[in-house]
Amino acid sequence: MRRVAVIGVLLIIGAMLFYAIGKMPPMNSRNTPDKTHVVPRYLEKGEEEGGARNIITGVILNYRGYDTMGEVTVIFSALCAVVALLDREKRGLSRSGPDASGVRSSIIVRTVVRFAFPVILFFAVAYMMLHGEASPGGGFQGGAILGASVIVFTLAFGLPESTRRMPLKVRTPLESTAMIGFLSMGFIGIAYGVNFLTYLLPGVHGTIAQTIRNLMITVIELGIGIGGGIIFISIVFAMMREDKFELRPDIPQP
Amino acid sequence: MNFGRIFHNLNYAVSALLFLIGLYTVAVKPNLIKKLIGLNIMETSVFLFIVSVGMVDEGVAPIVTGGYKAAEAVGRVVNPIPQALILTGIVVAVSTTAVALSLCLKIYERYGILNATEILGREEP
Amino acid sequence: MWRRKACFPWACIGVATTCFLVWSLLGKVSAGKAVTYNLSGWRPPWGIQIRIDYVGLLMACLITGVGLMLLIYSWRYIEHELKEERIPYYYTLYLLIFTAMLGFTVTGDLFNFFVFMEIFSITSYALVAITGERMALRAAFKYLLMGAISSLTVLLAIAFLYSVTGSLNMLDISTRLKSTTYLPVAGVALVLFIAGFAVKSALFPVHVWLPDAHSIAPSPISALLSALVIKMGVLGIFRILFTVYGHSFSGLSSNWNSISGVIAWAAALSIILGSVMAIIQRDLKVMIAYSSVSQIGYILLGITLVSTRGMAGGLYNILAHAMGKACFFLVAGAFIYKHGLRRIEDLRGIGRTMPVTAGAFALAALSIVGLPPSAGFVAKWYTLWGCFQKGQYAFVVIVLLGSLLSAVYCFRVVYYMFFTGARKSGVGLDEAPVTMFAPAAVLAAGTLFFGIFAGLLMPSLNNATRVLLMK
Repeated sequence: MRRVAVIGVLLIIGAMLFYAIGKMPPMNSRNTPDKTHVVPRYLEKGEEEGGARNIITGVILNYRGYDTMGEVTVIFSALCAVVALLDREKRGLSRSGPDASGVRSSIIVRTVVRFAFPVILFFAVAYMMLHGEASPGGGFQGGAILGASVIVFTLAFGLPESTRRMPLKVRTPLESTAMIGFLSMGFIGIAYGVNFLTYLLPGVHGTIAQTIRNLMITVIELGIGIGGGIIFISIVFAMMREDKFELRPDIPQP
Repeated sequence: MNFGRIFHNLNYAVSALLFLIGLYTVAVKPNLIKKLIGLNIMETSVFLFIVSVGMVDEGVAPIVTGGYKAAEAVGRVVNPIPQALILTGIVVAVSTTAVALSLCLKIYERYGILNATEILGREEP
Repeated sequence: MWRRKACFPWACIGVATTCFLVWSLLGKVSAGKAVTYNLSGWRPPWGIQIRIDYVGLLMACLITGVGLMLLIYSWRYIEHELKEERIPYYYTLYLLIFTAMLGFTVTGDLFNFFVFMEIFSITSYALVAITGERMALRAAFKYLLMGAISSLTVLLAIAFLYSVTGSLNMLDISTRLKSTTYLPVAGVALVLFIAGFAVKSALFPVHVWLPDAHSIAPSPISALLSALVIKMGVLGIFRILFTVYGHSFSGLSSNWNSISGVIAWAAALSIILGSVMAIIQRDLKVMIAYSSVSQIGYILLGITLVSTRGMAGGLYNILAHAMGKACFFLVAGAFIYKHGLRRIEDLRGIGRTMPVTAGAFALAALSIVGLPPSAGFVAKWYTLWGCFQKGQYAFVVIVLLGSLLSAVYCFRVVYYMFFTGARKSGVGLDEAPVTMFAPAAVLAAGTLFFGIFAGLLMPSLNNATRVLLMK
């Protein structure tokens, strides 16, 4: 009965969606409103105003930098939420005991990870984050790969090993680098009298202005990348540590 | 309903279909993790939709290699704005999933099972 | 890592500073004029603009004021209720949700709107579950599922609007929608927006997450959620209907009345259903939560009546309800803090031992029911006037009936608190700590103040809604 009601609601929603899709501007065309209103200016002036050859990086860090600040706040609040629910390990002492599974990864996995890990790290930081303004990539993408590399390491070598190399003392200050990057760069603009998060400072012209702007964008990008990566790592560590409880005998198992 | 247009906008149609599949999964499956998978399917469908809005026939990534003049660039280059939107959207989806999974972990610790009907059935203040 | 004792003072300084800054904008915004701020120096639609208009400033002042009161209240309550290592995370999440609500209120860009909505949604899921008890986790999960689906619906609607207009700035979209050829798409997007924000504001029939979540959360969080977070859903509907789509949205004018009519009827059902469910509850906080469902019905009814007085009434009701409901939850929390009481019948005679706290409840009850001279009375009076203006006499009956039912459940509690209980000799005053009853008392006094001195706000509010509806 309930299934029927659900399918009924879904049919109504589906009919509505497909009706709208039928009336939408055609895909893949060049004249749709979304491509002719704001985008030409982004494409034309994106490099000289936005500061990055990758126009998407220019959009997310310069034209719509405030949204990216909001996004960084979202991921930071997710970290706060996760560690509010699953408590942190005690200070100084890693609470994680031996691995839950008790089986070590095979020698093949461990060797491959040992070789691949620094390569992935280098790819994430050097290519994605730092070169992100001239090629596909960018701050957050690099941060995600950074986090993924540490997670691969943890999966191969176990949580105690990973936590030993990246203890809470190291992770905690780094988690806020994203926010700190944004706020510090943003307030530099205010100190000069222009709006928050402006990169082209008044009174500074020519190539120096461009250099300052590129520097500020790079700082923010590195901040987002490293901060985002560390936040992912912390979230995964917090979840992995929870994996140690025993099944309660009084509750019937499915 | 203009079926010709719907088939032309195939990406949009598939995205709507995925949205409905995800919504069905969330509503019907009793396992909490399956509900979260359904939520992720819904999120992915919305991202597919947004990116497809910006697609151009034979378009390239919006990375400047020479100069761009506005008029000719629009025809050659994919719209950068939807991609910026989904970057933020993906982060939001990941955050929601992270919080939901930690709730699942705690629920499993306290209830012992992850079945929604059973959990809702154990009413007590 | 941070010293636990230092959390509270820093949080207070932050919130108080924000409160001061926001309230200092009070003179500068009026019906037609708004304070704008272009971020990163780019003019819209190429950049993001913060646009503080009349309704936005009203909500921002409300958020900062009530937020400060709830923070002061949290100090003692959270020490008592949460495990010690979670307390810093509570304050962090509190500050994040406070910031997100302010950002949501003042932004002029549609996607930024969505991002801030996500911030306060995610932090609210965690804040509901932060105590870690079984019911809290369950309630938080249900809230999360419904909230996440509604956020996705809003994102899909934003995508539809973007594909049709090409812009993400609210005013720009409303200009471009007037001359678009893709009206059906905009219409479907409107329906999706309303559906998403209806879940966030707990409108019937998608209110089912609210009673569990708001009753099981720690009391200051219950107050925050009921008083402020669901108002964000209401503000979402307001912004979508009146800023993004614009009242003179000619393409939908034939459907306008039906869309706002549907919301108005759902709101009316919320009023009745919420009150009825509140009457049959035995747990105090669950009762207050259902009362929230009912009051949101009043607010949305006022706003979607699309008449000058009605909308002014609905917006004033946001103010009245936020203060009154926050006071209710703070009082309920004080009872839990002092005695661990949750059931209404256990409240016998508590008016004698905790007179200030119970008195605050009684005063706020005047506003929730809608008796003069409280702010709730002013709000409901204007809402009724709006119903008469539009000739919707069925709604008049429903509003009056709802007030009657609210009186039943509110005064039942007042009766138990003050008029029953054996007079035990030797039991003197056993009041809650000052930092707990003072915010409750301030909020209750606020409902009285804004009721008696409604002339402070009403003229400019009437002016604002008239300008809004004429555009």
